[in-house]
Amino acid sequence: MNTQPPTLLELQHAVHRSIVGHDDTEAAAYILADGIDPAARLGIYRNTFASALNNALKLSYPAVHRLVAAECFEGAARLFMEDQPPRSANLDDYGAAFAEFLSRFEPVSALAYLPDVARLEWAVSRALHAPDAPPLDLGRLAALTEDEQAHVFFTPHPSAALVRADHPADSIWRAVLAQDDAALAAIDPASGPVWLLVQRTECGVEVTRLSEAAWRFTEALFAGRPLHSALEEAPGAEASALLAEHLAAGRFAAFSVSDAAIS
Amino acid sequence: MNSFAAVPQSRRGPIPAKAGIGLRFPHHQVVADTRPEVAWLEAHTENYMGGGTSLRYLETIRRDYPLSLHGVGLSLGSAEEIDAAHLERVRRVVERIEPGLVSEHLSWSVVGGAYLADLLPLPMTEEALDVVCRHVEQAQACLKRRLLIENPSTYLRFRHSTIPEWEFLARLAERTGCEILCDVNNIYVSACNHGCDAATYLAALPPAAVGEIHLAGHAVKKLDDGQTLRIDDHGARVAPAVWALYAEALACFGPVPTLIEWDTNVPPLEVLLDEAARSAVMLEETEREYAAADAA
Repeated sequence: MNTQPPTLLELQHAVHRSIVGHDDTEAAAYILADGIDPAARLGIYRNTFASALNNALKLSYPAVHRLVAAECFEGAARLFMEDQPPRSANLDDYGAAFAEFLSRFEPVSALAYLPDVARLEWAVSRALHAPDAPPLDLGRLAALTEDEQAHVFFTPHPSAALVRADHPADSIWRAVLAQDDAALAAIDPASGPVWLLVQRTECGVEVTRLSEAAWRFTEALFAGRPLHSALEEAPGAEASALLAEHLAAGRFAAFSVSDAAIS
Repeated sequence: MNSFAAVPQSRRGPIPAKAGIGLRFPHHQVVADTRPEVAWLEAHTENYMGGGTSLRYLETIRRDYPLSLHGVGLSLGSAEEIDAAHLERVRRVVERIEPGLVSEHLSWSVVGGAYLADLLPLPMTEEALDVVCRHVEQAQACLKRRLLIENPSTYLRFRHSTIPEWEFLARLAERTGCEILCDVNNIYVSACNHGCDAATYLAALPPAAVGEIHLAGHAVKKLDDGQTLRIDDHGARVAPAVWALYAEALACFGPVPTLIEWDTNVPPLEVLLDEAARSAVMLEETEREYAAADAA
């Protein structure tokens, strides 16, 4: 056994290996036994780590949690947290890659729609926790010249996001959270794909289905493409109605006019 | 009209030496709607780092109550640098909420960029003291205010520790100007787990540096070999032995703002208010004794 006391950094890496990697050897050697096995002492901290992160994932993925058995969720969560422990102390940010992890998690492979539901839940969770931002100044937008309007590009509201899913993730998500078994049974999982818009409003997070063209137009706008370029994605009439709706619903936080219009 | 005129000013401000309760999500609505009789509230900094409903509740409630912010994520004991992005998130919440007090823990949670989601124990060494002092100073400079640092519950001790925890806290306070958040339940839990004397711990803390007290319930966990460890789960009423220790704490420190914390299986608000009322009676008694001693 190493008789030299560890530096603080060496000790912290050893505790990390114990908590995340289940290897107590080094950390246990630094601990006073005091009548209780050091591994049991370390186990208390490992349990807190696991239950805190399991809870964080459960809060972000409530429908996934209900769709699989609790033990199955816990098993997936545990493997996920050991593979990808949080990089931030803000646990609202934890779990972005859980959907991707679930798509490779063999025990749930029969539920082909599960990763889609997880991706939707992540967007919903992001929307819930997104920072506040005042909506864009409509008066300033209306004051632009026609040429400037064609070259305008937008910054989406921090809570607004788009999700495309191969399965009807929105119907499944709604039925599961409402615990409506009849509605759930009536859903054909093969009736996708769906094109979804997620946004936080005064009343909570809303998930809306869009047409594919409307979704692509919105995606172009959310990506910061100028209006004239985004319009290539959707027929003009539908696009202008949709743009008006986006503006009225506060889905943009800001706009600028690209240099092309200023010259 | 001055928009502040509609806001009752009298109850805002610094944290009084009275009993408060931890504000948790399940109680947002009832606290906002009913404005219960409680001297102050404490919220977890990490729960209000985004926007939306929770932050709006906190801002609404903040208008009527002195509020303190209690953080769990700064990892002041990390050997590596503290996470600047997290410190900035804390700074933004503090700027927005303008709390009466801001507190954190004598612990670490981050190594190699991984957040281990618990308040992990430090070896009580000169090296760890230097690290915590440096990080407390950095956080105080960023937040432009004095921090309170809380003693955590511990389930293990390191062989190479050389400084008693109370002395570590006292030296930390002396070197950085931070105050001590004395968690009486944590002292009790740690003392039981390590076979130490809780009263010795209390008596050794510098009274002038103690700016807040925490009280909470804990659990007793039976291990496989029949041994027990006390676990600080904040999931029950304050234990009788902890109330007794709290009386000793008040005798040592005088009246200090005292918080009832409850985090697992959060009960109806009335239960927390009931615990706070018990603490309030003891605080008033201490207040009277101090007033009598001053008059004599």
